[in-house]
Amino acid sequence: MIAGKLASSILDRGVGPLFLAPSVLLLVVLLLGPFVYMVVISFTDLSYALPDRDGNFLGFDNYRRLVRDDPVFWESFRTTMIFVFGVVSTEFLLGFALALLLFHHIQRRRVILTLLLIPMMIAPVAVGLMWKLMLHGEFGMLTYYLRALGLLDPQTALLGNHQLVLWTVMLVDVWEWTPFVTLVILAGLLSLPREPFEAAVMDGARPWQIFRDMTLPLLRPIIALVMLLRGIDAFKEFDKVFILTGGGPGNTTELLSIYTWRVNFRNWDLGYGATNAFMVYLVVLIFCAVFYKAVYWSRST
Amino acid sequence: MAHKTHFSMGTAGLRFGMAAGGFVLALAIGSPAGAWSLEEAAKPYKGTTLRTIGEALPPLEAMDKLKHKFEERTGIKVIIEMYEHSEAVNKVMLDLNSRRGRYDFILQPHRELGRFVANGHLTPIDRFMSDPKLRDPNFKPEEVLYQSLWKEISWYGGKAYGFPFTALTMYLWYRKDLIEDPKEQAGFKAKYGYDMQVPATWDQYRDLAEWFTRPEQRFYGTAIQGKRHEALWYEWLNFLYSFGGDMMEVSSGSECGPIIVNSPEAVASLDYYKSLIPFSPSDTLNYFWDDVMVAMQQGKIFQMIMWNDATYAVEDPSQSTVSGKMGFDVIPQGKGGKVGQVEGWTYLIPAYAEDKEAAYLFIQWMMGFDQQLEQHQNGGASSRPDVYAHPDVQKITYSKASMDTNAVSIAKPTIPESPEITEILVLQLSNALAGKKTSQQALDDAAVAMGKLLGDCAPLKFPVN
Repeated sequence: MIAGKLASSILDRGVGPLFLAPSVLLLVVLLLGPFVYMVVISFTDLSYALPDRDGNFLGFDNYRRLVRDDPVFWESFRTTMIFVFGVVSTEFLLGFALALLLFHHIQRRRVILTLLLIPMMIAPVAVGLMWKLMLHGEFGMLTYYLRALGLLDPQTALLGNHQLVLWTVMLVDVWEWTPFVTLVILAGLLSLPREPFEAAVMDGARPWQIFRDMTLPLLRPIIALVMLLRGIDAFKEFDKVFILTGGGPGNTTELLSIYTWRVNFRNWDLGYGATNAFMVYLVVLIFCAVFYKAVYWSRST
Repeated sequence: MAHKTHFSMGTAGLRFGMAAGGFVLALAIGSPAGAWSLEEAAKPYKGTTLRTIGEALPPLEAMDKLKHKFEERTGIKVIIEMYEHSEAVNKVMLDLNSRRGRYDFILQPHRELGRFVANGHLTPIDRFMSDPKLRDPNFKPEEVLYQSLWKEISWYGGKAYGFPFTALTMYLWYRKDLIEDPKEQAGFKAKYGYDMQVPATWDQYRDLAEWFTRPEQRFYGTAIQGKRHEALWYEWLNFLYSFGGDMMEVSSGSECGPIIVNSPEAVASLDYYKSLIPFSPSDTLNYFWDDVMVAMQQGKIFQMIMWNDATYAVEDPSQSTVSGKMGFDVIPQGKGGKVGQVEGWTYLIPAYAEDKEAAYLFIQWMMGFDQQLEQHQNGGASSRPDVYAHPDVQKITYSKASMDTNAVSIAKPTIPESPEITEILVLQLSNALAGKKTSQQALDDAAVAMGKLLGDCAPLKFPVN
C-alpha cells in the first residue's frame, strides 16, 4: 500500500515531466529553435551572396526597410490578401452549398465523395502542371473551349494577361480545395442531432429559418475550423502559383511566400529574408487571433 | 567484348597497355615533354570519386556519355548530378555556404562568379596549371581557347578560376523554307515595298514578324520569352546591346560603374521589344526558353532570338517538325552594330573540394580537342576555335551563326551583386511587358533599385526624378 502511494506520488511530482520531455525536446529543436534563430538573424545583415555581410547586428534597420522602403513587399502583401480572402470565401460558399446539396438531396453519396477527394489528393505541383497545360494559350484544352464559346479573345491567354492572371490562379485553388470544405461541412451536417430539427419542422419552421437559426449556429465550430485551416493554407500557397506563373507577369501574382522565397533563395539576402518571414508569421498570427475571437466572442453572447 | 580482353590481360597487363598507349600518343604528337601522361598523372588519385553538378542539357549529357573514357584510363570515377538551371545554381549555393565540399568541381553560369570569388568559395586554377605533375604540356589554353570568351566566362579580377564548359550565345533563328517561298516573297514585296530577306535591321525584323503572324492558323511571326524568369532578361540583353545600350558603363564584368540601364537607347530597346508582343503567341508573357523552343519545334513560329545550345534540338528530326527548314544568323543590327549576348557555364573548383587535383585532371581532359569536338557535335558550345574549324562542325547548319556571334559577344556584369541585378531587371522588364509600367518607368525603377544595391560605386548617369 505504502509502496503504491509512494510510486503514485513520484509519478505525480517527478516522473510526469519526464514523459513529456521527448515531445518538448522535439518541439524545441524543430519549432522553437529555428524560430528564435529566424528572429535573431532578422536583426542582422547576413547574406550568402555579398562579401562582408556575415551577420553584423543592424538593430531595426531591416524592419525599417521593409515598412518604409519596399513597395514590392507591400504589393505582394496586397496580392496575398486578395488571394486569401478571395479563395477562402469562394471555397467556403461553394463548398457549403455543395455539402447541403449532398446532404439533403443525394442518397448514395459514397461514389461522389470519393470523386470529390481526387483534387485534394493530387500533389500541388502536379495540380500546377496540369492546369498550366490546360490553360496553355496555344495547346490548352480549356483555352480552346473558352475561345470556341467566344468567352476568350484569341489574342489573350489567361496566364499571360495581367488583369486575368490572379483570378485564374485563384480559380485553380478553388478547384483544388472546395471539395475539402464540402467534406468537412458534410461531416458536420451528418453529426448534428436529428431531434431538434424534427421538432422544428413540427412547429412549422420554414427551411430558411431552420438553416439560419439552427444549422448555422450548430455548425459554428466546424465552420471556424475549416475557414482557419483554409486561411492558413492559402496564406502559405506557393507551389501551384509558382509553377503556373512564377509570380508574373510583373509581380501580379507574387504572393508573400514567393517574394520571401525570392529574397532568401534568389538573392540570398538572409537577414532581410528572415525579416520578411517574420512579418508573414506575424500577419498569420494576428489574422488567426482576430478570427478566433470573432467566432467565439459572438458564440458567448 | 573489350572488357573481357582487359580482364584476361590482368592488372599488370592493363597498366602496361595504358602506359604504352600514352607513350605512343605522346610520340605521335611529338611533344617535347613526352613523359607526361594522363595515366601517370592520375595514379595517385586512382580509386577516388569525383562528383559534379550542372544543368540538365545536351552538353552535360554529352559529358556524361564521354566520361567512361576518362574513368577507364585513370581509375577515377565521375558522378554527374543534373538539375534544371535554377536548381543547379541553388544546390551549389547551399553546398558552398555549408562548406561541406560535396562537389569536387562545379558547372555554373558565369554571372555567379563574383559572389563565389568574393566569398572565397573557389580555388584559382593557376595552382594546378603550374604543377608539372598535373599540367598536360600539350594543353595550352592561352592558345587554343577564344581568349575573350575564356576571360569573360572563367576569369574574375584578373585571375583564372576555370575553363568554359559552354560558351552560350543567342542568335537569330528563322524559317528558311518560308523566306525562300516565292509566294510569300511576292506578297511581302507588295505590302512592304522591298524584297523579303533575312532581317538585317530591327525594322525588317518587325515587318517579317508582322507579315507572318496568322493567328487564325495559330502561326506567329515571333515568340518572346516574356515570363518572369531570367530567360526574359537574357533575351532583352540582345535588344539592349543592339540598340546601343548597356546596364553599366564598365570595361569588364568584375567592375562596378555608372548605371546606364535607363538610357534613351535602353528605353528604345524595351519599347521595341514590347512592340513584338502582338506578333507572338497569346501567352508569350508566360513563355521562357522551353516554351518558345516547343513552339518552334511544332512549326508555329517564323523567327526568334534563341540560344545556341538549343539549336541542336530544333535540328533533330526525332523531336522537331522543322529540322532542315531552319536558318541561323547573327541578330539584326541597330545603333550598337553587330553584337551578341554571351553567357557561359564554367568549370570551377570549390575551395572545399576534397579531390581538387583529380578534378583538375578531368577538366583538363574534357578541354582536349577530341572531347570538345564530340561534346560540340552533341549539342555543346565549345570555346575552342579549332573545334569550329573542323569539317564535320562546319557542316552543322548553325556553326557559322555561332562563330560569328562568339566573335562579337559583349561582357556582362559578374560582380557579387550581378545575380540580384538580374532579379531587379526581370521584375521591371516583366512589369513593362505586362503593361503595368511604361518602358521609361520600368527602367527608371530598375536603375534606382540597382543604385540602392550597389551604393557609391554606381551613380545613376540618367538621374530619376
